[in-house]
Amino acid sequence: MTVQENLQNIQADHVLDTKGLSCPMPLLKVKKTLKTMKPGQVLEVQGTDPGSKNDIPNYCEKHGYQFLGYEDHPENYTRYFIRIE
Amino acid sequence: MTEQTSFFKGEMEKVHRTLFLTPWPAWVSGVFLAFLALLIFMWWHTWGVAGGFANWGDWFYYRLGLYESAPQRGVLLNGMSVSNIGLLVGAFASALMSRQFAVHRAPRWEYGKGLVGGGLMGVGAAIAAGCNVGGFYSALGMLDLGGALMMLGLFAGAYLGLRYLLWEMENVGQNSQGVSGVGTESRRDWSRIAPYVGVSVFVLILVVFQVYNWLGQTQMGGLLFFGFLIGLVMHRGRFCFANAFREPFMTGDSTMMRGVIVSLMIYALGVAAMKWAYIQPPGAGVYHPFWMGSLLGGVIFGFGMLLAGGCASGSLWRAGEGHLKLWLALVGFFLTNSPMGRLLDHSGVRELLGGGVFIPELLTWQGGLTLFYLFCAGIMLLLVWNEQTEKFTAF
Repeated sequence: MTVQENLQNIQADHVLDTKGLSCPMPLLKVKKTLKTMKPGQVLEVQGTDPGSKNDIPNYCEKHGYQFLGYEDHPENYTRYFIRIE
Repeated sequence: MTEQTSFFKGEMEKVHRTLFLTPWPAWVSGVFLAFLALLIFMWWHTWGVAGGFANWGDWFYYRLGLYESAPQRGVLLNGMSVSNIGLLVGAFASALMSRQFAVHRAPRWEYGKGLVGGGLMGVGAAIAAGCNVGGFYSALGMLDLGGALMMLGLFAGAYLGLRYLLWEMENVGQNSQGVSGVGTESRRDWSRIAPYVGVSVFVLILVVFQVYNWLGQTQMGGLLFFGFLIGLVMHRGRFCFANAFREPFMTGDSTMMRGVIVSLMIYALGVAAMKWAYIQPPGAGVYHPFWMGSLLGGVIFGFGMLLAGGCASGSLWRAGEGHLKLWLALVGFFLTNSPMGRLLDHSGVRELLGGGVFIPELLTWQGGLTLFYLFCAGIMLLLVWNEQTEKFTAF
């Protein structure tokens, strides 16, 4: 995946840890956190729920946030990157 | 490697990718689910989930010595119990095939919510004479008016549950924060072989079907197999009634609920054909407590499924995917469902909650089906309108 190369360089303004939480808690926290952030900022979400891989990109697409991609971290969680527009 | 085998391998990889590595849209799962529910209706009778949990609870309390008589059937010979086991194993196999199986641990607070949420679902399902499947999905598919009332109750319960989760996030937030060290057991090491294990589980189910067949219990074997397929279909589409009832309030998204309604539109048509043609009796599956039981049970169930993060069927497939929180939800469910059902029966409260109302009996088949499809279309329009305006979203 070529996207992953770019994700490595992203400096997130805020990191939201949802590891161990399952649906719907990760998305609920993402929605709440995104509302507190400013345009141009990047949110990194860390999570372990497989459902988030559908939920987070879908949510961003429908609500005008730019979903930059996700990557699986070697320590068994996934990192998601979202930019506020 | 010869040309044929590499061609074969390439084709297998394509099939694997389509079925197990690409997520299914909710409505695709919904269509398959309708057909499987119809198969169960033809093969046996109405599909349900809570009845299987009641059976597990009955056995649990009987073994403890709290119930005097043993349940009529063992867990391997009770239809809903068998299809539940199939559903869980099917989701397990599907999660292996798609390399998503892992033991998912959760913070302690979340385990508590799983247990309490499951317990509330058990109570709600006892009052409504069925869970999100038997009390809502199958009830409405069977054209029992109680199903529509439970739907209303589930929306209300999901809304209240969401309000609670928001309150919790503000006030007891640190308890359900992601905790380092809590999470998912290593999946990398065996993700290569996981799909082969998944295929072995599928073969094992076929063997168990054959064993049931030899023992003269073909019907139970079939239920195990259909349950297995339901587990697979639900897992691939992440088909979740909790999501369906919650999202219109949480993000406005109605993808899952529209999948549920598409599924119901096919299910009800198939049921109508079978009942109208007397393949199954017209009154089959019509016993839900209209209106009080279905409505009240729906509210309690809806609140519970928001805490647990999964409905009755959703908890089963997520348990199969390895979420320990949802295992606790299953335990909570059978611990409360069985005694609550008994309490309602013995106290005579059951009769006060209401009884089955068969829509075609009120309005003829033509009128009943017309009303049903207008109802579905109306809900769809409302959902799409809410998606645009977010009028119903809670925050």
